[in-house]
Amino acid sequence: MSFQPVAKLSEIPEGTTHKVVVGRHAVLLCNVGGQIFAIEDVCTHDGGELDQGELEGTRIMCPRHGAFFDVTTGAALTPPAVMPVATYRVRIEGDDVCVDG
Amino acid sequence: MIAPESLVEDYRHGFHDSEDSYAFKSAKGLTREIVERISSMKSEPAWMLAFRLKAYETFRAKPMPDWGDTALLNEIDFDDIRYFVKASEGTERSWDDVPDDIKRTFDRLGIPEAERKFLSGVSAQYESEVVYHSVREDLAKDGVIFCDMDTALREHPEIVQKYLSTVIPIADNKFAALNSAVWSGGSFVYVPPGIEVKTPLQAYFRINTENMGQFERTLIIADKGSKVHYIEGCTAPQFSTASLHSAVVELIAMEGASIRYTTIQNWYRNIFNLVTKRALAYKNATVEWVDGNIGSRLTMKYPAIYLMGEGARGEILSMAFAGEGQHQDAGAKVIHVAPNTTSVVTNKSVTAHGGKTTYRGLVEIHKGATGAKTRVKCDALIMDDKSSSDTKPTMKIDEQLSTVEHEASVSKIGEEQLFYAMSRGLSEADATAMIVNGFFDFFVKELPMEYAVELNRLVKLEMEGAVG
Repeated sequence: MSFQPVAKLSEIPEGTTHKVVVGRHAVLLCNVGGQIFAIEDVCTHDGGELDQGELEGTRIMCPRHGAFFDVTTGAALTPPAVMPVATYRVRIEGDDVCVDG
Repeated sequence: MIAPESLVEDYRHGFHDSEDSYAFKSAKGLTREIVERISSMKSEPAWMLAFRLKAYETFRAKPMPDWGDTALLNEIDFDDIRYFVKASEGTERSWDDVPDDIKRTFDRLGIPEAERKFLSGVSAQYESEVVYHSVREDLAKDGVIFCDMDTALREHPEIVQKYLSTVIPIADNKFAALNSAVWSGGSFVYVPPGIEVKTPLQAYFRINTENMGQFERTLIIADKGSKVHYIEGCTAPQFSTASLHSAVVELIAMEGASIRYTTIQNWYRNIFNLVTKRALAYKNATVEWVDGNIGSRLTMKYPAIYLMGEGARGEILSMAFAGEGQHQDAGAKVIHVAPNTTSVVTNKSVTAHGGKTTYRGLVEIHKGATGAKTRVKCDALIMDDKSSSDTKPTMKIDEQLSTVEHEASVSKIGEEQLFYAMSRGLSEADATAMIVNGFFDFFVKELPMEYAVELNRLVKLEMEGAVG
């Protein structure tokens, strides 16, 4: 595992998300109050893409069936999802957002 | 053989009252303005208006389901439905204050009888809002809250805001989004920790205005170690064009709590009944759905239980009858998330006069739900060559250390059984009704007496001329 730069911090304003590919995984970078969190961009319920959903505070909604996840922990907050999404460690180096993939 | 037309004529709830005295009736079709109007007429807090508007956008954006009986589903004309009808000003406190024409309708449905018997607190929904509601004093004394959802939002906004839509999110499906946008009425129940509600809570639903969608929203929270049984029965009068019923029911059984939710659905046969029902059961909690589907044109309903905590238990008992022109697409979903969770699903259906039933079920056992056990049984009885039944059980098992049983059967009514019963002096219709009632016995015996009697009577009516 190693950190690699995947995006520029300036590309992800507060309250928005940014989708990147790390290795073979789609990863969603979420800016919550200036801090970047990274989760796998796949809903654990039905495989929906979370980047199509809205980020509200620390929660993101999968648009397919409305399940919410906490982007800071990956936890599933409401059905129909029950399993957490994978999370990735994030390090900021200058303007580079680096993800431990 | 009894003709379907005469069944329609004989339908005992096929009457409707004059609609002239209605306090407010929205225009047909759904717009942002109607959603705003509903919210402002109910003097709702800003967060609820925001919730409704978000749901409205979600409803607009979501496609119709591309599975199930799509041909029937696509007959729904969303622009030809009234989304809100207010029958009278405010919720009446005492039976005497209920307007006479509404009372007459309830009289025919037997509500006052249930009241006289004092079996339980009765909350009766007429059109979009609850007009009559009596809360038994001992319920209130124990801290049990049982009221309509609109009252709950006014008097207990903090509980409603905390739990509403946490079991069924707005975007769960198109009809859950629609309900979230225009919901009105429905029941709210909160049972405090350790309290056992000994008699069932009852609510009655009924559609009257032609082309009116009824969108009740029910939320039941059983706090730690409490116990409650809620009964919902539906009947609706006769109309010529299709009407839509789309409810959302959310149940939360906290640690050690127990909820049983019984439904007898007997909508008139032009009604689309598209309902989302889901329960969360935490550690050692029990949730039981007892679900009977007799009426409606198309029902799509799959009561679900999420077994979230260790030792949680879920049971879904359902029966369906489909006659001419009807499709009962019903089933059950159980999601085992935690270890040592158990579930039982029993579904039985009867089709006659060209009706159709579908059992559509899902059992999921997630990784880590070690020791989970589930048993699924579905039986179908097909009365004639024109009728059909499909069974579509899905099982997703991700945990090796679990036990899964499934059995299904499809059969015709036994001619030998019929012959034997008739040789004892029963008419063919009586013999058939007796055998079908026996088939549904597992379900009927779980019902309170009045419902059991009514259901047996209904089955008998439906079975007339079913074999020929």
